[in-house]
Amino acid sequence: MVRNSPALRWTLGATLTGISMLAATSALAATVTVWAWDPNFNGATMEAAADRFQETHPDFELDVVIFEREGLEQKLQAQLASGVTDGLPDIVLIEDYSAQKFLLSYPGAFEPLGEHIDMSKFAQYKVDISSVDGTAYSLPFDSGVTGWFYRTDILAEAGYSHEDLVDITWDEVLEIADKVYEETGIPLMSVGVDSATVTRHMMQGAGSWYFDADGNPNLVGNPVFAEAVETYGELLRSDAIDKSNGWNDYTGAFLAGDVASVVSGVWMTATVKSNPELAGNWGVAPVPRLDVEGATNASNTGGSSWYVLSSAPQKELAIEFLDEIWGGDIDFYQEILVNQGAFGSLLAAREGPAFQASDEFFGGQPVWANFSTWMSQIPGVNYGIFSYEADNAIQASIPDLTEGTKPTEEIVEDINNQVNQLVM
Amino acid sequence: MTDSTTSLGMSSTRISNRNWTGLVSNVITYLLLSLAAFISIFPFIWMIIGATNSSADIITGKATFGTRFIENVANFLEQVDVVRITFNSLLIAGAGTVATLLVTSLAGYGFEIFRSRFRDRIFAGMLLMLSIPFAALMIPLFVMMAGAGLINTYQAVILPTVAWIFMIFYFRQASKAFPTELRDAAKIDGLKEWQIFAFVYFPVMRSTYAAAAIIAFMQHWNNYLWPLIVLQTNDMMTVTLVVATLNSAYTPDFGVIMVSAIFATLPTLIIFFVLQRLFVQGLLGSVK
Amino acid sequence: MAMAGTGEKRGLFSDNDIERREQINGWLFVMPALVLVGIFMIYPILWSLWMSFQVGRGMNLSFGGLSNIIRLTQDPILLRALFNTFIFLLVQVPIMLTLALIFASALNNPRLLGRGFFRTAIFLPCVTSLVAYSVLFKSMFAEDGVINDFLLWAHLIGEPIPWLLDPFWARIVIISAITWRWTGYNMIFYLAALQNIDRSIYEAARIDGVPAWARFIHITVPLLKPVILFTSVISTIGTLQLFDEIMNITNGGNPADSTLTLSVYIYNLTFRFMPSFGYAATVSYVIVILVGILSYLQFLAARDRRA
Repeated sequence: MVRNSPALRWTLGATLTGISMLAATSALAATVTVWAWDPNFNGATMEAAADRFQETHPDFELDVVIFEREGLEQKLQAQLASGVTDGLPDIVLIEDYSAQKFLLSYPGAFEPLGEHIDMSKFAQYKVDISSVDGTAYSLPFDSGVTGWFYRTDILAEAGYSHEDLVDITWDEVLEIADKVYEETGIPLMSVGVDSATVTRHMMQGAGSWYFDADGNPNLVGNPVFAEAVETYGELLRSDAIDKSNGWNDYTGAFLAGDVASVVSGVWMTATVKSNPELAGNWGVAPVPRLDVEGATNASNTGGSSWYVLSSAPQKELAIEFLDEIWGGDIDFYQEILVNQGAFGSLLAAREGPAFQASDEFFGGQPVWANFSTWMSQIPGVNYGIFSYEADNAIQASIPDLTEGTKPTEEIVEDINNQVNQLVM
Repeated sequence: MTDSTTSLGMSSTRISNRNWTGLVSNVITYLLLSLAAFISIFPFIWMIIGATNSSADIITGKATFGTRFIENVANFLEQVDVVRITFNSLLIAGAGTVATLLVTSLAGYGFEIFRSRFRDRIFAGMLLMLSIPFAALMIPLFVMMAGAGLINTYQAVILPTVAWIFMIFYFRQASKAFPTELRDAAKIDGLKEWQIFAFVYFPVMRSTYAAAAIIAFMQHWNNYLWPLIVLQTNDMMTVTLVVATLNSAYTPDFGVIMVSAIFATLPTLIIFFVLQRLFVQGLLGSVK
Repeated sequence: MAMAGTGEKRGLFSDNDIERREQINGWLFVMPALVLVGIFMIYPILWSLWMSFQVGRGMNLSFGGLSNIIRLTQDPILLRALFNTFIFLLVQVPIMLTLALIFASALNNPRLLGRGFFRTAIFLPCVTSLVAYSVLFKSMFAEDGVINDFLLWAHLIGEPIPWLLDPFWARIVIISAITWRWTGYNMIFYLAALQNIDRSIYEAARIDGVPAWARFIHITVPLLKPVILFTSVISTIGTLQLFDEIMNITNGGNPADSTLTLSVYIYNLTFRFMPSFGYAATVSYVIVILVGILSYLQFLAARDRRA
């Protein structure tokens, strides 16, 4: 089904009897199974990694099975909760925000990779995300280092150049938005009412999170959270900012040229580039920061990592494969950066040629080198296990935020109450 | 539809008036049906238009036919093992539908024709089971399937959905219209119960079976959550699972998604088209 | 005719032997279904009942007694989900079933031209892929979408309605979407049932000068009562389990939980949030109890009208 998938051998005879077709995975000795969610992105990088590993391990086979992302999480959870290990893959991709939830809900289900692989090779904040009691459980995959993708042509029309966008605060962004909207009639960016992505990267950029290091809610009395909520409300109320509901609405807005920019993780690059007609009209600036003490212009949005199941039939081989290719093959990282736009977290990969190259799509900016620099500055935070609960509470306050009359302290109080209700 | 005729006395006026109101009610009926048909078809047509356009055109809201249909289909075929997933889906939906119709119509008939207080209670209990969200049941169901060694098999997908309580309920309600006299007459002719079911009930209830077949096929074909949980490998994937995957990409190719959506719709549509002929008045004429 | 089963026991035969054979036959007919339900439902149901007394994160469970039930009573999100679910139930289900009945009886007229076309067209929405229809509904109801364009053009509104961004309008969108998708589905059951009504009843009524609407109210509706009861019970269950539209059109209950339903909340509790399988099971049984009460009322209403 997925391109290049090796496991499509089947005979008509077997299917006509069809009756007890068990998983074929255990039959082939050296097949490692991977669950991922995007055939053209993370799935494709795994195929590429397998091709390289096969050069030294000719017997090695990799079988990538693709499920849509939420479906994959559902499937994995249902199976882990059932305690049945039959049919689980060797390697599975999990989004970073969900990492702690999986690790703490199903203790013993995942292999502590930090005991097998040297984790100092990877960006530290990525390693922290999947660590429990100081032991790392994942092989860090793509970084969510965040940038501000903007349309150079539209911003130039309103009189702004790259320098005006570098290292600024969200308050300044709102001023720019008003000016751009006035001059061009185009909203500066779109904010989602369906996800708290904005508040997430605002907070991480300031080195804070919904929860403290011990996992307790860190909302009331947290100046970073108050400022993030305040700013989110200003974005929602601004006429110069578009509102979107859902991923396709959100990406469609900038792809169709209905908004002039998007703040997102580096993994958005491929989507931005998917409209080739706008080549040369895009640039990338650092993510804006909150106007609070200690805030930086570097943050993270999303990103995901590879996990090895403790029950995996090919556990040793899977770890060897991950260590050799994902943990050391610098050329491989250049290849997936160029082909899939996948921005890995292996620090040494940053010295490779692809990471140093400039990109004509972005007007010749050395975007990858910039992202590398920002990645090294991302403050590490503990996402904990209740981030989705906190998002949900923030979303529930959107009517109040849109209204704009309720004091921020009271909204924070409301959010805190709902979070405490859910955190049980 | 209007009522203006009943108070008029003269029979000739009454007839012409009735023709007139008949005409008005006809016009209203056609207008109403045309409007409903337009609203119903519109998204489908939009889907077909989408299949002929590039992803970028779909995002910008282009609403006219494009030239990319062949390319979208080619991309779809390249990304998806169509033969394999169609085979899987057809096998699951086909076998599932036949088994469901058999088991549920027997039960619906049994519950209605042989009524007893005890069976009525069981039936009420089953209705309550129908209302338990599947999310609450799938983990233990998965444990059971694993215990039986059925993970990643067709049987695991089909078996739990065969005794579909919804369908039992439907057949029971529909059986209320099955004329008792027919059964009594058949008994006098010496037919056994299973013969009455097979040779009297089944042909008389053809339209009920047709509706049930459409609904059951659609349910099995579109089933998402349980196959997602219980199927594990690429060679067992179904059409519905693959369509969902295409839509969740970071950069979804909407042209391909529209092709896949049409592809996923066609089998149910064909089944409907074939079976809807059974909803034609007069089939029962010979029986009554 | 609609109550065929009731006269059964006083049929042609009435001695004990026949009675017993009827009992045996009754069990034989329902047995395959009972066995399958027994295998595939009973254990999962017992498991989920047991679960509803468990508390803890993920699989780190411990017996919590009634604490999940106590949590139910203090859960503002549950209240929101219940409120939304009831709005959908009370507003949407009657509209949908009435439309389905009207379409079915119109399409049952053998003199109607293009019946096959209309039937297929109105049935089409429920087979149209959820993906396609949610993408389309979202774009149609976007602030600059065709719906607003049309309403502005017709001067029905002064400024665009923020359909998916405003709690009230988002509910309207969901109600329209479910009605669009499921009316044809319910129509199928009515159409099938209409085949069992003797045409001569209509002819006789027509010759007596009974107008179309009166034929509909006094002949069609009473004769279809068993199927109407079926569709209303099924729609009630369907609404209480409403999930697809919410996940795909309002992305899981947005804005501000205004379209959150019980089923989506259960999903969140199980998969999005830190999994609380126990509490999710407890909320599932809220649905079961509500369906029990509502179905009982519906059966009761159907029975009353018969008298």
